[in-house]
Amino acid sequence: MGIEPGRLHFSWISSAEANKFVDVVNEITAAVKALGPNENFLKTEARVA
Amino acid sequence: MLAYIDKIKEISNRLLKEGKVDMVIGFRKGTVPMMNEPCFVKTPEDVDNFVWDSNCGINLANYLTNRKEKIGIVAKGCDSRNIVTHVIENKIKRDQLVIIGVPCKGMIDRHKIEAMFETEIQDVIEADDKIIVKGQGLEKTLNKKDVLQDNCALCIHRNPVIHDELVGDPVEEQKDLDRYEDVRKIEFMSPEEKWRYFDDLLSTCIRCYACRNACPLCYCPTCFVDESRPQWVGKSQDPIDTRTFHFLRAYHCAGRCTDCGACERACPMGIKVRTFTRKLEKDCLELFDWEAGLTLEERPPLDTYRPDDPDDFIK
Amino acid sequence: MSDWEPKIVSFLCNWCSYGAADLAGVSRMEYPPNIRVIRIPCTGRISPKFILAAFRQGADGVWVSG
Repeated sequence: MGIEPGRLHFSWISSAEANKFVDVVNEITAAVKALGPNENFLKTEARVA
Repeated sequence: MLAYIDKIKEISNRLLKEGKVDMVIGFRKGTVPMMNEPCFVKTPEDVDNFVWDSNCGINLANYLTNRKEKIGIVAKGCDSRNIVTHVIENKIKRDQLVIIGVPCKGMIDRHKIEAMFETEIQDVIEADDKIIVKGQGLEKTLNKKDVLQDNCALCIHRNPVIHDELVGDPVEEQKDLDRYEDVRKIEFMSPEEKWRYFDDLLSTCIRCYACRNACPLCYCPTCFVDESRPQWVGKSQDPIDTRTFHFLRAYHCAGRCTDCGACERACPMGIKVRTFTRKLEKDCLELFDWEAGLTLEERPPLDTYRPDDPDDFIK
Repeated sequence: MSDWEPKIVSFLCNWCSYGAADLAGVSRMEYPPNIRVIRIPCTGRISPKFILAAFRQGADGVWVSG
Protein backbone atom coordinates (compact mmCIF):
# COMPACT_ATOMS: atom_id res chain seq x y z
CA MET A 1 0.00 0.00 0.00
CA GLY A 2 2.92 2.30 -0.36
CA ILE A 3 4.62 1.90 3.00
CA GLU A 4 8.12 0.60 2.56
CA PRO A 5 8.40 -2.91 4.01
CA GLY A 6 11.37 -1.79 6.13
CA ARG A 7 9.26 0.64 8.12
CA LEU A 8 7.05 -1.86 9.81
CA HIS A 9 8.50 -4.71 11.81
CA PHE A 10 7.09 -7.58 13.79
CA SER A 11 9.05 -9.77 16.12
CA TRP A 12 8.68 -12.25 18.90
CA ILE A 13 11.00 -11.99 21.86
CA SER A 14 10.55 -13.70 25.20
CA SER A 15 11.27 -11.76 28.36
CA ALA A 16 14.50 -13.69 28.85
CA GLU A 17 15.94 -12.79 25.48
CA ALA A 18 17.63 -9.50 26.22
CA ASN A 19 20.30 -10.27 23.60
CA LYS A 20 17.78 -10.84 20.91
CA PHE A 21 16.04 -7.64 21.95
CA VAL A 22 19.20 -5.63 21.45
CA ASP A 23 19.88 -7.33 18.12
CA VAL A 24 16.41 -6.60 16.85
CA VAL A 25 16.54 -2.97 17.94
CA ASN A 26 19.84 -2.57 16.10
CA GLU A 27 18.50 -4.23 13.03
CA ILE A 28 15.30 -2.19 12.92
CA THR A 29 17.06 1.09 13.56
CA ALA A 30 19.42 0.34 10.71
CA ALA A 31 16.56 -0.56 8.38
CA VAL A 32 14.61 2.60 9.15
CA LYS A 33 17.71 4.77 8.96
CA ALA A 34 18.40 3.41 5.51
CA LEU A 35 14.93 4.44 4.37
CA GLY A 36 15.19 7.99 5.63
CA PRO A 37 12.45 10.06 7.19
CA ASN A 38 8.82 9.12 6.70
CA GLU A 39 7.30 12.04 4.87
CA ASN A 40 4.47 10.41 2.99
CA PHE A 41 2.15 10.28 5.92
CA LEU A 42 2.65 13.82 7.08
CA LYS A 43 0.11 16.41 6.14
CA THR A 44 1.62 19.55 4.70
CA GLU A 45 1.13 22.72 6.72
CA ALA A 46 -1.06 24.32 4.08
CA ARG A 47 -3.82 21.78 4.30
CA VAL A 48 -3.90 20.84 7.94
CA ALA A 49 -7.38 19.63 8.75
CA MET B 1 -33.67 -13.97 -15.14
CA LEU B 2 -36.96 -12.09 -15.39
CA ALA B 3 -38.82 -15.34 -14.83
CA TYR B 4 -37.52 -15.29 -11.26
CA ILE B 5 -39.89 -12.47 -10.36
CA ASP B 6 -43.04 -14.59 -10.30
CA LYS B 7 -41.30 -17.21 -8.25
CA ILE B 8 -40.05 -14.62 -5.75
CA LYS B 9 -43.55 -13.22 -5.43
CA GLU B 10 -45.07 -16.65 -5.05
CA ILE B 11 -42.65 -17.74 -2.34
CA SER B 12 -42.91 -14.42 -0.48
CA ASN B 13 -46.68 -14.57 -0.62
CA ARG B 14 -46.69 -18.07 0.80
CA LEU B 15 -44.21 -17.28 3.58
CA LEU B 16 -46.13 -14.19 4.66
CA LYS B 17 -49.53 -15.90 4.52
CA GLU B 18 -48.35 -18.89 6.52
CA GLY B 19 -46.83 -16.49 9.02
CA LYS B 20 -43.39 -18.08 8.68
CA VAL B 21 -41.82 -14.66 8.40
CA ASP B 22 -42.72 -11.17 9.56
CA MET B 23 -41.33 -9.57 6.46
CA VAL B 24 -39.54 -10.28 3.24
CA ILE B 25 -36.62 -8.21 2.07
CA GLY B 26 -36.26 -7.91 -1.68
CA PHE B 27 -36.02 -5.33 -4.42
CA ARG B 28 -38.50 -2.98 -5.99
CA LYS B 29 -38.17 -0.83 -9.03
CA GLY B 30 -36.17 2.30 -8.34
CA THR B 31 -37.24 5.77 -9.35
CA VAL B 32 -34.29 6.16 -11.70
CA PRO B 33 -33.16 3.56 -14.21
CA MET B 34 -30.57 0.97 -13.09
CA MET B 35 -31.16 1.74 -9.44
CA ASN B 36 -33.44 -0.84 -7.90
CA GLU B 37 -33.99 -0.23 -4.25
CA PRO B 38 -34.39 -2.52 -1.27
CA CYS B 39 -37.95 -3.15 -0.25
CA PHE B 40 -39.33 -4.52 3.02
CA VAL B 41 -42.66 -6.24 2.44
CA LYS B 42 -44.79 -7.05 5.47
CA THR B 43 -48.15 -8.01 3.99
CA PRO B 44 -49.02 -10.48 1.23
CA GLU B 45 -50.77 -7.68 -0.70
CA ASP B 46 -47.50 -5.85 -1.19
CA VAL B 47 -45.49 -8.67 -2.72
CA ASP B 48 -46.32 -7.35 -6.17
CA ASN B 49 -43.78 -4.62 -5.56
CA PHE B 50 -40.96 -7.11 -5.93
CA VAL B 51 -38.87 -7.13 -9.06
CA TRP B 52 -35.75 -8.92 -10.15
CA ASP B 53 -33.40 -7.91 -12.94
CA SER B 54 -29.78 -7.02 -13.42
CA ASN B 55 -29.97 -3.90 -11.29
CA CYS B 56 -30.24 -5.64 -7.95
CA GLY B 57 -26.61 -5.19 -7.03
CA ILE B 58 -27.20 -3.87 -3.53
CA ASN B 59 -26.27 -6.43 -0.91
CA LEU B 60 -29.39 -7.16 1.11
CA ALA B 61 -27.47 -8.84 3.92
CA ASN B 62 -26.74 -5.26 4.96
CA TYR B 63 -30.30 -4.99 6.29
CA LEU B 64 -30.14 -8.00 8.57
CA THR B 65 -27.77 -6.69 11.21
CA ASN B 66 -29.21 -7.14 14.71
CA ARG B 67 -32.76 -7.70 13.46
CA LYS B 68 -35.08 -9.44 15.88
CA GLU B 69 -38.01 -10.47 13.68
CA LYS B 70 -38.30 -13.45 11.38
CA ILE B 71 -37.16 -12.45 7.95
CA GLY B 72 -37.42 -13.83 4.46
CA ILE B 73 -34.60 -12.53 2.35
CA VAL B 74 -33.94 -12.64 -1.35
CA ALA B 75 -30.31 -13.58 -1.81
CA LYS B 76 -27.94 -13.85 -4.74
CA GLY B 77 -24.70 -15.78 -4.44
CA CYS B 78 -22.80 -12.95 -2.79
CA ASP B 79 -25.71 -11.98 -0.53
CA SER B 80 -25.92 -15.53 0.73
CA ARG B 81 -22.23 -15.52 1.57
CA ASN B 82 -22.68 -12.32 3.51
CA ILE B 83 -25.61 -13.88 5.32
CA VAL B 84 -23.30 -16.72 6.33
CA THR B 85 -20.80 -14.16 7.57
CA HIS B 86 -23.54 -12.43 9.54
CA VAL B 87 -24.61 -15.69 11.15
CA ILE B 88 -21.00 -16.56 12.02
CA GLU B 89 -20.53 -13.14 13.57
CA ASN B 90 -23.75 -13.45 15.60
CA LYS B 91 -25.44 -10.55 13.90
CA ILE B 92 -28.49 -12.65 13.12
CA LYS B 93 -29.60 -16.18 13.92
CA ARG B 94 -29.92 -18.73 11.18
CA ASP B 95 -33.36 -19.85 12.41
CA GLN B 96 -34.69 -16.31 12.06
CA LEU B 97 -34.11 -16.48 8.35
CA VAL B 98 -35.81 -17.98 5.36
CA ILE B 99 -33.38 -17.50 2.53
CA ILE B 100 -34.89 -17.24 -0.92
CA GLY B 101 -31.92 -18.07 -3.10
CA VAL B 102 -31.58 -16.54 -6.53
CA PRO B 103 -29.00 -17.94 -8.94
CA CYS B 104 -27.41 -14.89 -10.47
CA LYS B 105 -25.71 -14.18 -13.75
CA GLY B 106 -24.25 -10.89 -12.73
CA MET B 107 -25.44 -7.36 -12.24
CA ILE B 108 -24.89 -4.51 -14.66
CA ASP B 109 -22.64 -1.61 -13.84
CA ARG B 110 -24.47 1.69 -14.05
CA HIS B 111 -21.20 3.63 -13.99
CA LYS B 112 -20.10 1.85 -17.15
CA ILE B 113 -23.37 2.45 -18.97
CA GLU B 114 -23.66 6.06 -17.89
CA ALA B 115 -20.13 6.72 -19.10
CA MET B 116 -21.03 5.47 -22.58
CA PHE B 117 -23.66 8.09 -23.30
CA GLU B 118 -23.77 11.84 -23.06
CA THR B 119 -27.51 12.19 -22.73
CA GLU B 120 -29.48 11.21 -19.69
CA ILE B 121 -30.61 7.61 -19.68
CA GLN B 122 -34.33 7.37 -19.16
CA ASP B 123 -35.02 3.71 -19.44
CA VAL B 124 -33.11 0.47 -19.45
CA ILE B 125 -34.79 -2.70 -20.60
CA GLU B 126 -33.43 -6.18 -20.37
CA ALA B 127 -33.97 -9.05 -22.74
CA ASP B 128 -31.95 -12.23 -22.30
CA ASP B 129 -28.34 -11.24 -22.70
CA LYS B 130 -29.05 -7.84 -24.20
CA ILE B 131 -29.53 -4.51 -22.49
CA ILE B 132 -31.51 -1.84 -24.34
CA VAL B 133 -30.73 1.68 -23.23
CA LYS B 134 -33.19 4.47 -24.02
CA GLY B 135 -32.98 8.22 -23.64
CA GLN B 136 -33.75 11.46 -25.48
CA GLY B 137 -33.14 10.52 -29.11
CA LEU B 138 -31.22 7.50 -28.02
CA GLU B 139 -31.76 3.81 -28.31
CA LYS B 140 -28.96 1.36 -28.15
CA THR B 141 -28.59 -2.33 -27.54
CA LEU B 142 -25.66 -3.53 -25.50
CA ASN B 143 -24.37 -6.97 -24.64
CA LYS B 144 -24.92 -7.63 -20.98
CA LYS B 145 -21.56 -9.25 -20.57
CA ASP B 146 -19.83 -6.06 -21.70
CA VAL B 147 -21.43 -3.99 -18.97
CA LEU B 148 -21.27 -6.38 -16.02
CA GLN B 149 -19.98 -5.09 -12.72
CA ASP B 150 -16.29 -5.92 -12.46
CA ASN B 151 -16.84 -8.22 -9.53
CA CYS B 152 -19.65 -10.08 -11.31
CA ALA B 153 -17.44 -10.68 -14.31
CA LEU B 154 -14.99 -12.41 -11.94
CA CYS B 155 -17.59 -14.12 -9.78
CA ILE B 156 -17.14 -17.81 -9.02
CA HIS B 157 -20.03 -18.21 -6.58
CA ARG B 158 -23.09 -17.24 -8.55
CA ASN B 159 -25.41 -19.66 -6.83
CA PRO B 160 -26.45 -19.08 -3.23
CA VAL B 161 -24.33 -21.12 -0.82
CA ILE B 162 -27.20 -21.52 1.62
CA HIS B 163 -30.87 -21.24 0.85
CA ASP B 164 -34.22 -22.56 2.01
CA GLU B 165 -35.98 -21.95 -1.27
CA LEU B 166 -34.53 -21.58 -4.72
CA VAL B 167 -36.29 -19.60 -7.42
CA GLY B 168 -34.69 -21.32 -10.38
CA ASP B 169 -32.20 -23.96 -11.40
CA PRO B 170 -28.63 -23.23 -10.36
CA VAL B 171 -26.67 -21.47 -13.07
CA GLU B 172 -23.35 -22.65 -14.34
CA GLU B 173 -20.43 -21.29 -12.33
CA GLN B 174 -17.66 -19.48 -14.15
CA LYS B 175 -14.44 -21.43 -14.23
CA ASP B 176 -10.81 -20.88 -15.07
CA LEU B 177 -10.89 -17.18 -14.35
CA ASP B 178 -7.75 -15.30 -13.53
CA ARG B 179 -9.31 -13.38 -10.68
CA TYR B 180 -6.35 -11.41 -9.43
CA GLU B 181 -4.50 -10.15 -12.46
CA ASP B 182 -4.88 -6.50 -11.46
CA VAL B 183 -3.93 -7.17 -7.85
CA ARG B 184 -0.73 -8.83 -8.97
CA LYS B 185 0.07 -5.82 -11.11
CA ILE B 186 -0.06 -3.61 -8.02
CA GLU B 187 1.94 -6.09 -5.95
CA PHE B 188 4.79 -5.81 -8.43
CA MET B 189 5.03 -2.05 -8.02
CA SER B 190 7.70 -0.43 -5.88
CA PRO B 191 6.56 1.37 -2.72
CA GLU B 192 6.80 4.76 -4.47
CA GLU B 193 4.79 3.55 -7.43
CA LYS B 194 2.18 2.12 -5.08
CA TRP B 195 1.99 5.38 -3.21
CA ARG B 196 1.35 7.27 -6.40
CA TYR B 197 -1.08 4.68 -7.68
CA PHE B 198 -3.26 4.94 -4.58
CA ASP B 199 -3.00 8.73 -4.51
CA ASP B 200 -4.35 8.70 -8.01
CA LEU B 201 -7.02 6.13 -7.28
CA LEU B 202 -8.35 8.08 -4.31
CA SER B 203 -7.91 11.57 -5.68
CA THR B 204 -11.63 11.93 -6.41
CA CYS B 205 -12.87 10.53 -3.11
CA ILE B 206 -15.28 12.93 -1.40
CA ARG B 207 -15.46 10.99 1.87
CA CYS B 208 -19.20 10.45 1.63
CA TYR B 209 -18.83 6.99 3.20
CA ALA B 210 -21.31 5.50 0.74
CA CYS B 211 -18.96 2.52 0.39
CA ARG B 212 -19.05 1.95 4.12
CA ASN B 213 -22.81 2.31 4.34
CA ALA B 214 -23.45 -0.05 1.47
CA CYS B 215 -21.15 -2.69 2.92
CA PRO B 216 -22.82 -5.47 4.90
CA LEU B 217 -19.63 -5.93 6.91
CA CYS B 218 -19.54 -2.35 8.13
CA TYR B 219 -21.90 -2.59 11.05
CA CYS B 220 -19.76 -1.18 13.88
CA PRO B 221 -21.98 0.90 16.20
CA THR B 222 -19.41 3.67 15.93
CA CYS B 223 -17.18 3.63 12.92
CA PHE B 224 -13.53 4.53 13.53
CA VAL B 225 -13.92 7.56 11.27
CA ASP B 226 -16.59 8.94 13.57
CA GLU B 227 -14.60 8.42 16.74
CA SER B 228 -13.18 11.64 18.10
CA ARG B 229 -11.38 10.55 21.27
CA PRO B 230 -8.93 9.50 20.05
CA GLN B 231 -9.45 10.74 16.54
CA TRP B 232 -7.84 8.08 14.38
CA VAL B 233 -8.44 9.84 11.14
CA GLY B 234 -9.19 13.45 10.20
CA LYS B 235 -12.53 14.35 8.68
CA SER B 236 -11.17 16.35 5.80
CA GLN B 237 -10.49 15.42 2.23
CA ASP B 238 -6.78 15.50 2.88
CA PRO B 239 -5.21 12.69 0.82
CA ILE B 240 -3.65 11.17 3.93
CA ASP B 241 -6.97 11.07 5.75
CA THR B 242 -8.72 9.61 2.74
CA ARG B 243 -6.05 6.99 2.40
CA THR B 244 -6.18 6.09 6.08
CA PHE B 245 -9.94 5.68 5.86
CA HIS B 246 -9.81 3.38 2.87
CA PHE B 247 -6.98 1.23 4.18
CA LEU B 248 -8.49 0.79 7.60
CA ARG B 249 -11.91 0.03 6.22
CA ALA B 250 -10.38 -2.58 3.96
CA TYR B 251 -8.52 -4.16 6.87
CA HIS B 252 -11.73 -4.46 8.82
CA CYS B 253 -13.06 -6.52 5.95
CA ALA B 254 -10.08 -8.88 5.80
CA GLY B 255 -11.22 -12.49 5.66
CA ARG B 256 -14.84 -11.36 5.61
CA CYS B 257 -15.26 -9.63 2.27
CA THR B 258 -17.17 -11.65 -0.30
CA ASP B 259 -16.43 -9.27 -3.16
CA CYS B 260 -20.12 -8.46 -3.62
CA GLY B 261 -19.19 -5.13 -5.19
CA ALA B 262 -21.67 -3.10 -3.12
CA CYS B 263 -18.98 -0.55 -2.19
CA GLU B 264 -17.96 0.05 -5.75
CA ARG B 265 -21.56 0.22 -6.91
CA ALA B 266 -22.40 2.78 -4.25
CA CYS B 267 -19.47 5.07 -4.98
CA PRO B 268 -20.78 8.25 -6.59
CA MET B 269 -17.34 9.05 -7.96
CA GLY B 270 -16.78 5.67 -9.55
CA ILE B 271 -13.69 4.85 -7.50
CA LYS B 272 -12.57 1.24 -7.75
CA VAL B 273 -12.94 0.65 -4.03
CA ARG B 274 -12.57 -3.09 -4.43
CA THR B 275 -8.89 -2.67 -5.21
CA PHE B 276 -8.26 -2.69 -1.46
CA THR B 277 -10.52 -5.51 -0.37
CA ARG B 278 -9.43 -7.72 -3.22
CA LYS B 279 -5.81 -7.71 -2.16
CA LEU B 280 -6.86 -8.93 1.27
CA GLU B 281 -9.17 -11.47 -0.28
CA LYS B 282 -6.30 -12.79 -2.35
CA ASP B 283 -4.03 -12.98 0.70
CA CYS B 284 -6.64 -14.90 2.67
CA LEU B 285 -7.00 -17.35 -0.16
CA GLU B 286 -3.27 -17.82 -0.54
CA LEU B 287 -2.27 -17.85 3.14
CA PHE B 288 -5.25 -19.54 4.74
CA ASP B 289 -6.98 -21.17 1.79
CA TRP B 290 -10.06 -19.26 2.84
CA GLU B 291 -12.95 -17.73 1.00
CA ALA B 292 -15.41 -15.84 3.14
CA GLY B 293 -18.96 -16.95 3.70
CA LEU B 294 -18.91 -20.41 2.19
CA THR B 295 -19.69 -22.43 5.29
CA LEU B 296 -21.33 -22.06 8.66
CA GLU B 297 -19.17 -24.81 10.14
CA GLU B 298 -15.78 -23.16 10.13
CA ARG B 299 -14.50 -20.07 11.92
CA PRO B 300 -12.74 -17.46 9.77
CA PRO B 301 -8.92 -17.58 9.83
CA LEU B 302 -8.55 -14.25 11.59
CA ASP B 303 -10.42 -15.36 14.68
CA THR B 304 -8.81 -18.73 15.11
CA TYR B 305 -5.26 -19.71 15.89
CA ARG B 306 -3.54 -22.63 14.32
CA PRO B 307 0.05 -23.56 15.08
CA ASP B 308 0.77 -23.69 11.36
CA ASP B 309 -0.52 -20.19 10.65
CA PRO B 310 1.90 -18.38 8.35
CA ASP B 311 4.33 -16.26 10.36
CA ASP B 312 7.09 -15.37 7.95
CA PHE B 313 6.73 -11.69 8.72
CA ILE B 314 7.74 -12.19 12.36
CA LYS B 315 11.40 -12.21 13.24
CA MET C 1 20.29 15.72 7.12
CA SER C 2 23.26 13.85 8.52
CA ASP C 3 22.16 14.34 12.12
CA TRP C 4 18.72 12.98 11.45
CA GLU C 5 17.80 10.12 13.72
CA PRO C 6 14.73 7.99 13.07
CA LYS C 7 11.91 7.74 15.56
CA ILE C 8 10.63 4.23 15.87
CA VAL C 9 7.41 3.65 17.74
CA SER C 10 7.63 0.29 19.47
CA PHE C 11 4.62 -1.55 20.72
CA LEU C 12 6.00 -4.05 23.21
CA CYS C 13 4.04 -6.77 24.93
CA ASN C 14 4.15 -6.39 28.69
CA TRP C 15 5.02 -10.04 29.20
CA CYS C 16 7.54 -10.62 26.45
CA SER C 17 9.49 -7.88 24.74
CA TYR C 18 8.86 -5.33 27.44
CA GLY C 19 10.39 -7.81 29.85
CA ALA C 20 13.27 -8.32 27.46
CA ALA C 21 13.81 -4.56 27.28
CA ASP C 22 13.81 -4.45 31.05
CA LEU C 23 16.32 -7.27 31.23
CA ALA C 24 18.49 -5.58 28.62
CA GLY C 25 18.45 -2.48 30.77
CA VAL C 26 19.23 -4.33 33.97
CA SER C 27 22.08 -6.13 32.19
CA ARG C 28 23.40 -2.76 31.01
CA MET C 29 23.32 -3.70 27.38
CA GLU C 30 23.55 -0.92 24.85
CA TYR C 31 21.10 -0.35 22.06
CA PRO C 32 20.17 2.62 19.87
CA PRO C 33 18.03 5.27 21.53
CA ASN C 34 15.70 5.59 18.54
CA ILE C 35 12.90 3.48 19.87
CA ARG C 36 9.95 5.00 21.71
CA VAL C 37 8.37 2.27 23.74
CA ILE C 38 4.64 1.89 24.25
CA ARG C 39 3.80 -0.88 26.65
CA ILE C 40 0.74 -2.87 25.70
CA PRO C 41 -0.91 -5.69 27.65
CA CYS C 42 -0.49 -8.10 24.75
CA THR C 43 0.22 -7.83 21.04
CA GLY C 44 -3.35 -8.97 20.54
CA ARG C 45 -4.29 -5.46 21.62
CA ILE C 46 -2.72 -4.06 18.46
CA SER C 47 -5.09 -2.79 15.84
CA PRO C 48 -4.06 -1.66 12.38
CA LYS C 49 -5.19 1.80 13.33
CA PHE C 50 -2.50 2.08 16.01
CA ILE C 51 0.13 1.47 13.39
CA LEU C 52 -1.35 3.94 10.94
CA ALA C 53 -1.85 6.47 13.73
CA ALA C 54 1.86 6.21 14.58
CA PHE C 55 2.88 6.80 10.98
CA ARG C 56 0.45 9.68 10.65
CA GLN C 57 1.91 11.36 13.67
CA GLY C 58 5.36 11.25 12.23
CA ALA C 59 6.90 7.94 13.20
CA ASP C 60 9.62 6.86 10.81
CA GLY C 61 9.18 3.23 11.70
CA VAL C 62 6.86 1.03 13.70
CA TRP C 63 7.82 -2.11 15.52
CA VAL C 64 5.37 -4.54 17.02
CA SER C 65 6.87 -7.17 19.26
CA GLY C 66 5.36 -9.94 21.34
